Amino acid sequence: MRPSSLFSIFTVCSLAMLALMALHAHHSQASGRNVTMARARLVREYQLTDLCLFTEARYTRNPAMADLFSAFQDHPASLEHFPSGSLVPPARPHE
Amino acid sequence: MIELTHVSKCFTMGKSNQFKAVDDVSLTLRRGKVTILKGPSGSGKTTLLTLIGCMARPTSGRIRLYGIPAPGFIELPPTDGFDISSLPERFLTHIRRTTFGFIFQQFNLIRGISVLENIMLPAYPTGESHAVFHKRALELLNLFGITRLAASQVELLSGGESQRTAIARALINNPDVIIADEPTAHLDSTLSREFMDIIGGFKAHGKTVLIASHDPIVYESALADMVVDMRDGRITGTGRVS
Amino acid sequence: MNSRVNSQRNIIDYAISSLLRRKIKNLSLLALYMLVVFVVASLIFFVQALKREARLILGDAPDIVVQRTIAGRHDLIPADYSRQIAAIRGVSNAAPRWWGYYYDPNFDANYTFMVPPADPPKKGTIWIGAGIARLLRGAQKGYLVPLRNAARKTMLLEVVKVFPADSELVASDLIMVSPDDFQTMFNLPKGFATDVAVTVANPQEIVTVAGKITEQLPGTRPILKSEMLRTYDSLFDWRGGMQVVILSAALLSFIIFAWDKATGLSADERREIGILKSIGWETTDVLLLKFWEGIAISMTAFTWGVILAYGHVFFFSAPLFEHAIKGWSVLYPRFRLVPTIDPYQLAVLFFLTVLPYTAATIIPAWLAATVDPDSAMRS
Repeated sequence: MRPSSLFSIFTVCSLAMLALMALHAHHSQASGRNVTMARARLVREYQLTDLCLFTEARYTRNPAMADLFSAFQDHPASLEHFPSGSLVPPARPHE
Repeated sequence: MIELTHVSKCFTMGKSNQFKAVDDVSLTLRRGKVTILKGPSGSGKTTLLTLIGCMARPTSGRIRLYGIPAPGFIELPPTDGFDISSLPERFLTHIRRTTFGFIFQQFNLIRGISVLENIMLPAYPTGESHAVFHKRALELLNLFGITRLAASQVELLSGGESQRTAIARALINNPDVIIADEPTAHLDSTLSREFMDIIGGFKAHGKTVLIASHDPIVYESALADMVVDMRDGRITGTGRVS
Repeated sequence: MNSRVNSQRNIIDYAISSLLRRKIKNLSLLALYMLVVFVVASLIFFVQALKREARLILGDAPDIVVQRTIAGRHDLIPADYSRQIAAIRGVSNAAPRWWGYYYDPNFDANYTFMVPPADPPKKGTIWIGAGIARLLRGAQKGYLVPLRNAARKTMLLEVVKVFPADSELVASDLIMVSPDDFQTMFNLPKGFATDVAVTVANPQEIVTVAGKITEQLPGTRPILKSEMLRTYDSLFDWRGGMQVVILSAALLSFIIFAWDKATGLSADERREIGILKSIGWETTDVLLLKFWEGIAISMTAFTWGVILAYGHVFFFSAPLFEHAIKGWSVLYPRFRLVPTIDPYQLAVLFFLTVLPYTAATIIPAWLAATVDPDSAMRS
C-alpha cells in the first residue's frame, strides 16, 4: 500500500478518535450532571464553602475562608511550606 | 535542435577569483543525433551540459530550443525556437523535467530508498498518476534487465547496476534529450561498451544525445555524429566521426 | 486539479518513506513531542474540569459568610451576631455555623468537623465522609471511632452514615456531629460560633448587605459567594508555582528540540535536496516535502498527545498529578471528573506547538532548496 494512503487512513482514524473524544465529553456532561447535582445538594444542605481537595492545612482545606494571614500564621516570616500552597492562591481581600 | 550563440558562463563574477568556465561557445546540436563533448577535466564540459540542460543560466549569450514543444505559457509558433537563457526558474524546471534526462557522473542516486523509487522520483512532482509512472518504471527496469533489483537498496548495487538505474531514472519522464556527464568514468570496458549500446538504442528511438567524456570508447564510437573538442572553456575543434 | 492532488500524494509518499528511513530519530522526536503535548493537555483538561465542577457545585454555597477577625486573624464570632445580621434589610436568613479542624495523630490526618444546620445526628453518633471511611480501613455503619476531645479524653462515636463515594469531592473529610458532641470535642466558649452563614433575598444586594454588616459590626469580615468562586477560578492558575514549573519545562524542552531542527540539515539531507533539484524537483516541491514531513510528525504527536491526555485525566483520574496535588495530605479525595473540553486552550496549544515545529522543519530546508540544481553535478 502506498505510504500516502496509509498516512491518510491513519490521519482519518486519529481525527475520528478526536471526534469520538468530543462526543464522549458531550455525552458525559449530560450523564455526569446527576453526580454534580448530588454534590451541589450537599453544598446547599450543609452550607459548605469549599471543595475538599487539600487536607494538609486549614487554609488549604478551606481556601475560600482563608485570609492572607493564614499562610504566615506560624511566624511573620515563615515561608509557604505546604505543596498545595503553590496551587491555591491566597484569598483576595474584600474591597 | 538546440542552438547556442556566444554562450559564456562566469562564476563568482566581480570577485578576485572570477572564473570563466565556458567562454564564447557557439554550437548547434542536431535533433536525433549523438554529440560528444571531448576534453580534459576543467575544460568546461560539465558547465556546458548544465547550461544546455536548463540547470543554470548563461552569463551571456543565447540558447534556443527548436522543435521542442514550448510550455503552455509561451506563445510562439512551434517552428520558431524559444530562448531559454533568461527564463525564470520555474519555467526552466518545467522544461528540464519534460525535455531532458540527466545521467550524472556520480549517478547521484538517493541512498536509503529502493531502485524502483529512485527511478520514479523525477515523476513525483509532475502530477502524473502514480499508477502510470509506476508502470513505466517497471518497463524501464525490464528494458535494462534490472527487474530483479526493483526492491534493492542502491548502496548494494554494483557499478553497472547503478548506472543502469541512473539511466532508467533519466528516462522516466520520456525526455527528448539525454544528457550524460562522464558516464563511463566508473565502468570497465565491457560495461562502457554496453553503455554505448544503450545509447544506440536511444538514437534508434529518435532521441537526441549529448555526452561529455574523455573516454575513447565513447568519442571514438561509430554512434557519435559530432565530436566537439573543448579546452579551457572554448571549443577548439569540431569533427564528425567517419 | 487532479494533477495537483496527484503530485501532493506523490510528495507525501516520499515524505513518509523519508521519515521511515531515519526511524529511530523520528520516532524519538515523535515520542518527545507527544510527551510534551500530553503533559500540557493533561493539565488543561484537569484544571478546566475541576474549575467547571467548582463553579457548578459552589453555586449553592452561602451568599455571605461572616467571619470575625482580631489583629487580622480569624477568631470566633459571637453567636448573637447572627441575630443582628438577620435584622438587616435584605437578609432572609442568618445562622451561626459550627465547624472546625481536628487533627488525628493516629493517621496524621486532618478532618473537618461540622454541625449540620438542620437535623443533626443524634448525640454519640457521627456521619463520616468516604475518605475517612477509607482511612479507617473501611469503616461502616456501626463502627466506633475513637476521638480525643478538648479535655484529652477519648470519645467513642458511632458511625451511622457514610457519605457516598461520589460526594468525596466535597465531603471526603467531613465528620458531622451533634451540637453537644461538638461542644465536648472543642470546648468552645459558650455563645460563640465559628462564623455566620447569611442568605440574601436578592442576589444583587449582596454587596450592599455586606457593606452594612461591616458598618454595624466592626471587626467582621464578610466573604461573598462571588469571592469564594473567584478563589476556585484562580485554582491551578498558570501563574501559580507548580504550573509555572510544568509549563516552563514543557516550553523549554520544546524550544530545545525545535532549535535542534532549525540549526540546519545534515550533509546527507543537503545532498539529497541537491539531487532532488537536479532531477527536476522545484524549490516549492522540496519545501512541500519538508512541510509534509513536519506535519506528519506534529499532527500525529498533537492528536495522540491530546487523546492520551484525555484518557489519563478522565479515565484514570490523572495519576501523574496525584503526587503534586496530594502534597502532604494523608486524606486525598478520590473523584472522577466530568470530561470537559476547552477548545480555546487546545487551539492555543496547537498553535504553540504545531506551527513552530513546522516552521522549524521548513526554514532550514528553504536555504538548502534554493541552491542551484547544477551544484549536484559537481558534488
